[in-house]
Amino acid sequence: MTASLGDRSRLRFRPAAYAVLLAASLISLVPAYWMITISLKTEADQFASPPRWFNFGPTLAHYYDAFFSRSFGTYLSTSAIVAISSTALALTIGTSAAYALARLGLGEGSSRRISLWILSTRMLPPIVTAVPLFLMMRGLRLINTLPALIVVYTALNLPFVIWMMRGFFQEIPRELEEAAMVDGDSRLGALMRVVLPLVKPGLAATAVFCLITSWNEFLLALVLTQTDASMTLPVGIAGRVTQYEIKWGVMSAAGVVAMIPMIAFALSVQRYLVRGLSLGAVKG
Amino acid sequence: MKAARKFGAHDRMLARLLLAPAIAVLLALSLYPLFYLIRVSFEPGGGEGSWSLRNFSRLATDGFFRSALLHTLIYAVAALTLEFVIGLGLALIADRPLRGRGVFRAIVLIPMMLPPVVVGVIWRLMLNPDFGAINGTLKAVGVNTQSMTWTASPLLAMLSVIAVDVWQWTPFMFLVLLAGLQAIPQEPYEAATIDGASAYQMFRDITLPMLKPAILIALLLRTMDLLRVFDQIYILTEGGPGFATETVSLYIYRSAFRFFDLGYAAAMSLVLLMMTNLISAGYIRLLGRQEAA
Amino acid sequence: MKPVQNQLLFAMRLLFILLLCSALFASCGGSQSGRIRLVVNSGVEGDALKAAARDYEAATGLHVDVVEFPYDDLFAKELVDLSSGTGAYDLIMLDDPWFPRFATEDLLLDLGPLYQKRGQSGADGDFVSTSIALCKHPYAEGSLRALPYVGNSQLFFYREDLFKKYALKEPDTWEDVLNAARTISEHETAGAPGGGAVYGYVMRAARGNSAVADFMPIFWSFGAEMFDDAGKPAVNSPEGINALKFMIELGKYAPPGYPSFNATEVSAHLLQGTAAMSINWPAWISAFGDPSKSRVIGKVVFTTLPGLANRTRAELTSASTKIKDQAGQGGAKNVGSQRSAPQKSGQAEIGNWLVAIPKGSRNPDAAFEFLLWATSQEQMKKSALAGNPPTRRSLFNDPELVAKFPSYPAQLKSLETSRARPRTPQWSEIENVFGIYLSRANSGELSAEQAMNEANAEIGKIVERMRK
Repeated sequence: MTASLGDRSRLRFRPAAYAVLLAASLISLVPAYWMITISLKTEADQFASPPRWFNFGPTLAHYYDAFFSRSFGTYLSTSAIVAISSTALALTIGTSAAYALARLGLGEGSSRRISLWILSTRMLPPIVTAVPLFLMMRGLRLINTLPALIVVYTALNLPFVIWMMRGFFQEIPRELEEAAMVDGDSRLGALMRVVLPLVKPGLAATAVFCLITSWNEFLLALVLTQTDASMTLPVGIAGRVTQYEIKWGVMSAAGVVAMIPMIAFALSVQRYLVRGLSLGAVKG
Repeated sequence: MKAARKFGAHDRMLARLLLAPAIAVLLALSLYPLFYLIRVSFEPGGGEGSWSLRNFSRLATDGFFRSALLHTLIYAVAALTLEFVIGLGLALIADRPLRGRGVFRAIVLIPMMLPPVVVGVIWRLMLNPDFGAINGTLKAVGVNTQSMTWTASPLLAMLSVIAVDVWQWTPFMFLVLLAGLQAIPQEPYEAATIDGASAYQMFRDITLPMLKPAILIALLLRTMDLLRVFDQIYILTEGGPGFATETVSLYIYRSAFRFFDLGYAAAMSLVLLMMTNLISAGYIRLLGRQEAA
Repeated sequence: MKPVQNQLLFAMRLLFILLLCSALFASCGGSQSGRIRLVVNSGVEGDALKAAARDYEAATGLHVDVVEFPYDDLFAKELVDLSSGTGAYDLIMLDDPWFPRFATEDLLLDLGPLYQKRGQSGADGDFVSTSIALCKHPYAEGSLRALPYVGNSQLFFYREDLFKKYALKEPDTWEDVLNAARTISEHETAGAPGGGAVYGYVMRAARGNSAVADFMPIFWSFGAEMFDDAGKPAVNSPEGINALKFMIELGKYAPPGYPSFNATEVSAHLLQGTAAMSINWPAWISAFGDPSKSRVIGKVVFTTLPGLANRTRAELTSASTKIKDQAGQGGAKNVGSQRSAPQKSGQAEIGNWLVAIPKGSRNPDAAFEFLLWATSQEQMKKSALAGNPPTRRSLFNDPELVAKFPSYPAQLKSLETSRARPRTPQWSEIENVFGIYLSRANSGELSAEQAMNEANAEIGKIVERMRK
């Protein structure tokens, strides 16, 4: 894919290009690395001057403190439950809707209109929905419950799932399904047996994006949860920041734990990254 | 069209069936909240009872809201410009066969995948004037860091929160623009080289026009995110010092959930929504013109 | 295609591990039926009540769930829960300036009937009167809606070793403080334990609670008042503006960046020995004796707050007359306020932590039992030993405690003469606005006059809204 591009821009100094890319890599990595070191340092080393980048005696005390002495274990499990359930829900509902929009006879115009409307709901700033969602959930007595967060995150992810999956379905030649239907499959049978296996990689990539969104979401979780049992990891971490006495080690330890799965996920969907980030508009 | 012949009543039925749950969820959790928001914004004090324009008249005279709007715009424009310029520069550099480009792509995507709350924590650690890594390192090499109180002076604090956004989201610009660059065919460049065009002319006449759709998409998505910024600033400066980094989202949050002034928060939310819509409509019109051309 | 699938497989495995972890953690926290739920602030005060809850569980078998929130979030979380009646909490720990809002909206249980049920007339007389006054709605006279748990009132902290070194005497007045700060800052530009400078004074001027709490004692000692007799805001009185000017002057000897300081930064400077004076809450005292935190063990003295000298007061009054002439009618309603009598020692701000039972509590009787138990003399002593000042006079005179905390007599005096922040349900909004302008003035964005005038106008709007 890249080898065919040739030397289109005429910058001649390759070393300069490498120097720039190296600098950009360092700038990207160093701050996260610093947080990792803080999570592993004793308090004396955290405050040392000049800062200790490498030479410190590592300790896991902050991790123990965060996840066993404090409630970060509960936040972690809440985050995981909410992220996984909302992703599963959004994928189920969204994929069927996407298939309908991509394939079934709604006519080109109405399919496009519905798709655009769905996309526009993604453009809502979360703070705009925060007040009404809070009031609605309060009315339904769902404040401080996991179902509230799961349902809200499902709605948050749904437009993205529909938009992405619609693109993946459209890339599959109609002939494949039609051949299966000629062979006696029903429309749904063809979807299950022929189409879904083909979009599996796309489906998995979409799932990972949903997980990232739900895992990272902060504002709505902050508004909808006030108890230890219902808080997600970002809310828990934020709670330690504005504190009277900031526990830098605990906060960093929790930050590292919140960060690692996201990096792993991001690396696993590299191939679909640009497509996912641009809501399918740019196919990387 | 060939497709039309196969779509019978059965398919249409199935389509409705498959679409129904998604539309129900979106109606209940995106559209209904909007109506609810409008209703609340006309209710004084958030309670039941008569309609009133009081929240909106208060909005017109609220200097804090105006400066929060201004901060949001400054923040969005500055961060967007920097991210675009740096991202485009990096994409141009990386748009050629360089060994290790894959590794570079993998490294730079890390910041934008981090939970924004964690980004806030990271930078609070980095920017702390007393034991932060930045001032500590500067001090170690003999720089006087007395005046470098990153999040404590109004101007520096605004620059700091902008820098953090640039750190986190320049990779997004880079990746989208790089993908756009790589989709440009080779032929126009070859033809231009034969005509003796300079590198700058090729950039201006070939690269930029062909990259325009990717640029518009990247700018649209970033703008939407910048206008709603909340998480990092909430952690990093909490809107301070004074009011210097308070954005609209933070101000609405404070009114709604610190002072419990839900009606007023709803009114401000509507303004933010209208502003966001206007700007995105502008982008979408540009995009449409692009596609038509 | 192949590597992609491998990556996805990897992602799926990760998911699995996450699920497993969550199942593991979920199984740790079981729930029981007979229980009460308690919400506290994260910090020493909340920790003490949390420890009491653990002891109570062990003693009675009743399960006590404790949730903690940082100071900035706690009020909002409690207000959200109480006003929506979700009944998430049976007991809430609250900072005293929040009390009027909860009480005005009738969200807290009246403790009177609960006492009567037990055959008692009300809270016993051992509680310090300024503390118990905070728990009544209306202030000092109405019905009892909470009990005081931590008896904070501000103290003045200073470094005795540095004062001796420069032959300074314990500051009686704010200009003593300013002079001492100047002397120390000028001489101690280098040589502190951390290698940096020692700053004369350190204060919190971050927006919100921080700036306002550290400013109020100065503000009051200059004779300024938040509201005039008619209930109109009066922060831009000449006294108020002079107080802010004084704060900014003092800020010249504070560490750079203090306009964004919260308690964390202030305590770090004091504990690291890089600042010589400060106003602070007594809860911090115990940290100064802790070798793992403090580099200034035995060097810090805790005493009552400074006041304002007569001479300065006279000068200010004549100066303010000039300002009054310029300001015309608007600014100067409050010249010669209620407390025109000169004071030797200043007035501290009271900042007690109260514990109350929300009306939505599902288990009010059990909650009340716990509340009485936790605020009993015996239990409060444990909290006091952990560093929280008590709210019971008997504990301030307890020999064991006095031996451990020699500042107790000063603390009791400070507490008994302390002043409450204005008792208005709008306090958190007013504090927010006031704090923003104080912070902006300290960072040099606005002059003292501008800041106070604008703050006054904004506070006026808030008060006006409440009246409608």
